[in-house]
Amino acid sequence: MNAEQARSLLRTMWRIRAFEERVGRLKRSDEVHGLIHLSTGGEGVAAAVCGQLRDGDVVYSGHRAHGHVIAKGAPLPETMAELMGRAGGLCRGMGGSMHLVDVAHGMLGATGVVGGTVPAALGSALAARMRRESTEGEDTVSVVFFGDGAVQAGTFAESVNIAALWRLPVVLVCENNGFAEFTPRSAHTPVERVSDLVAPWGITAATVDGNDAVAVWEEFARLLAGVRAGDGPALLEALTHRLRGHYEGDPDRYRDAIATEEWQQRDPVLRLERTGIAHGWFDTDEAKAVREAAHAEVEDAVTWARESPWPTPELAASLVYGS
Amino acid sequence: MTGVTTRELTYAAATNEAVHLEMARDEDVVLFGQSVAGSPDDPFVRAFGPDRVRVTPISETAEIGMAAGAALAGKRPVVDCTMAEFLLVAMDQVVNEANRFHYMSGGRVTAPLVLKAGYGFTAGWAGQHTGSIYGMFMGVPGLKVALPSTPADAKGLMASAIRDDNPVLFLHHYLLLLEQGPVPDGEHLVPFGTADVKRSGSDVTVVATGWTVHRALAAAERLAADGIDVEVIDPRTIAPLDTATILTSVGKTGRLVLVDQATRHSSVATVIAGEVAEHGFSALRAPIVQVTALDASIAYAKPMEDYVLPDEDKIVAAVRRVTVRGAA
Amino acid sequence: MKPAEMFRHMIRIREFEERVKRTFTEHPGVIRGHTHLADGAEASIVGSVAAMRPGDQLVSTYRCHGYPIALGSDTSALMAEIYGRATGICGGYGGSMHLADPERGFLGTSGIVGQNIPQGTGAAYAAQLRGRGEVVLTFFGDGASKQGAFHESLNIAAVWKLPVVFVMENNSYSAGVRTDLEDANAAAGEPLATKARAYSIPGVTIDGGDPLLVHETVAAAVERARAGEGPTLVESRVYRLSAHGNSIAPPGVPLHYPEHEAVTKYGNAEEYEAAKRGDPVPRLRARLVGSGELTADDADRIAAEARAEMQAAVDFALASPHPEPAAALSHVYA
Repeated sequence: MNAEQARSLLRTMWRIRAFEERVGRLKRSDEVHGLIHLSTGGEGVAAAVCGQLRDGDVVYSGHRAHGHVIAKGAPLPETMAELMGRAGGLCRGMGGSMHLVDVAHGMLGATGVVGGTVPAALGSALAARMRRESTEGEDTVSVVFFGDGAVQAGTFAESVNIAALWRLPVVLVCENNGFAEFTPRSAHTPVERVSDLVAPWGITAATVDGNDAVAVWEEFARLLAGVRAGDGPALLEALTHRLRGHYEGDPDRYRDAIATEEWQQRDPVLRLERTGIAHGWFDTDEAKAVREAAHAEVEDAVTWARESPWPTPELAASLVYGS
Repeated sequence: MTGVTTRELTYAAATNEAVHLEMARDEDVVLFGQSVAGSPDDPFVRAFGPDRVRVTPISETAEIGMAAGAALAGKRPVVDCTMAEFLLVAMDQVVNEANRFHYMSGGRVTAPLVLKAGYGFTAGWAGQHTGSIYGMFMGVPGLKVALPSTPADAKGLMASAIRDDNPVLFLHHYLLLLEQGPVPDGEHLVPFGTADVKRSGSDVTVVATGWTVHRALAAAERLAADGIDVEVIDPRTIAPLDTATILTSVGKTGRLVLVDQATRHSSVATVIAGEVAEHGFSALRAPIVQVTALDASIAYAKPMEDYVLPDEDKIVAAVRRVTVRGAA
Repeated sequence: MKPAEMFRHMIRIREFEERVKRTFTEHPGVIRGHTHLADGAEASIVGSVAAMRPGDQLVSTYRCHGYPIALGSDTSALMAEIYGRATGICGGYGGSMHLADPERGFLGTSGIVGQNIPQGTGAAYAAQLRGRGEVVLTFFGDGASKQGAFHESLNIAAVWKLPVVFVMENNSYSAGVRTDLEDANAAAGEPLATKARAYSIPGVTIDGGDPLLVHETVAAAVERARAGEGPTLVESRVYRLSAHGNSIAPPGVPLHYPEHEAVTKYGNAEEYEAAKRGDPVPRLRARLVGSGELTADDADRIAAEARAEMQAAVDFALASPHPEPAAALSHVYA
């Protein structure tokens, strides 16, 4: 990792953190409505993975998608406007938090159904592999983010078998936060590590500390190189801590709250700041400037979104079919 | 209900009370699903132990298929499937397995199970969690479908569902979960296939299900002020469907408005319209009017969400349409 | 179960399946729809069922004729079911793919690949709740292990330590497709029991043509399940000696049994001939006669009895009445 990469990583992580903290407040004041899942604690994974992808690489996500969308390059005003249900939103107010799409930046879809986009990512990978056969230098990949809960869904096993069998250029990124919605992983499966669980299919797999953005970056870089080279699929398991409940408003009674001091140590954003300063990638003032710029950018996004008009109700009856 | 004492309970609490009472009554009743036994002090776990009340992984096919197998082996599983759309992940197990076992075995086996799921959560959940998809299940042989609209019906239909020897989809409406109403104490059973006349009237028959029952009742009060007397019928179960009560009412009023939160062509409304057109045509004094959701997914932003749904104004307008002079 | 008794059941299953197959030529039109024969899998079926004791249960796929025969169901009622008669074991409602005999522990089948796996898992959950040490055998094919239902079910069975034995009859063909073309493990030359590692449960691969080995393996898994130690995946390697099923054709077109896919689809007649040479039924006969556990005369007598039993089953089924048409509206609901 060099200084430029580290600064970019920190900037993306702060943009996600600031965005989601603001979304949490807007949810409580009901300016953002519906079901909201925040990824606070997972910024390092989103930023380190998407930070190494190109616009032509495709990303899919699940219900906790804000970070992935932002890291893949979606503009904050349009993203915020979507969460506020405005006509200027990424999806014109028709999708909201769980269904964010930004085709221009390769963010092809997010789903509200656990595991739902894993096979979709295989489809994009298949298309990429078919292009490889006809296009010199074509090496785009497909990436799908999902949680550890999705691993127990049948669609996951079906997908891993096909990805392995057909050697598809797809990276499966599992953000293992230890909780499938409201229940601990131990109630879901006897296999603690997702990288162990996929071992029988023989795909390249690695587990990394998801709170360490630099480690995620380096491990993903290694896997990505293999997938780009045509070695077939890979799985990256990032162990993270979901700071917030499953959704905003979740009473979160099923687990003990993390101690503030422990969180200060693990918080991936603060950790990257400490690491970056220690390595001389940036100094304290630069880190502070990045943080403040992210917060300012988010405030501008909120202002922009608030000024965006509501969709006309009649839009609801259109777009049912593509023309 | 003379002789029966009632308490005010929410629709959600009434549903849970029925499950609780049935689990106490019959030790073969078991409860599992992704959102079951959420904490160690869960009242079901405390009462019935962790073996009969279990959280499952997010594995819909396995959850519903396991319910079928446990039912074949003598249990009466209640699967909390959380949201109706999650049934779609396991569609084969819902419409092509347990519901056919009794029939294909020539009556040798039964598969008594209940799939409990919420629907119609039109509260900013966008396209994938807000549907009213019961229409696709009502024509599935061997599968029963209950759509309670009140806390008392929720309790009584859940109890009947658990005692039924067939697979039952018990679909509760998300927008009604916190609605309060009087609920009979103790054992309370609502029979399947028996509609309930929620309001008697002589001018127009309105048939509605779930959340739209309440919209229809509110519309009826507004129309009463104008001298239009509306009868509101809630079928309560759509499979089996009590067409007799509806036809009797149409025989009296000669006018029928069907209200449904589903999109038109997968709605209960369309099925009832067909039944009444065939069996009650001579009684009709005006064309049947259907007030359904528009044929679109539910959009995220509220103005669009409201736009596609049936509401009180649309019901009032429909009733006026069938009662204007000359419509007869 | 004594080896001679295993031989008796194996030859009964073989004879039954032969009679089902012959029905397409001897009595055209009598069998409708789709049948799937278990010839070649007799040793695996009988060896597995022999590990059951009263109170244990099983579920299977649509390739289901062998299990009830091994469990002692009335073969006349089984044949009558396949012939669609009112006297069938399910009254003619189910046919070949949907046999059931709950009194003997055969809870039923699914006609959809893999979908009986969660059902067997659920029956095992019921057995765990009963607490009487009863076990459920869940039979399925190699193709079913690519269904999400397989993954979900083995995971739950493992985490709940359910008393279930998953018996995968791997006949190397997912319906008509060679397994190495659709399975990442098979493509890598690995046994399919490798999949058990994803659930931290034991997985073993055995020669399903050896009923004594199958019995020993499944019985050990059954005892493990009985002891509360959870599920096992047993991959039983068998070779299906008939095509996946009879031909599929519109009404009026006579149905028949095509040749095996190894020949018709992959041009590999030698694979099929080798499988025939390894046929588990004569293999067991030779072994038992060779060891003196059975005389050649006894073996011939057992075969003759099986022929007579299945002739009687065919006669009974042919003479049985068809169901009343209006019976179609019975049993819609229990």
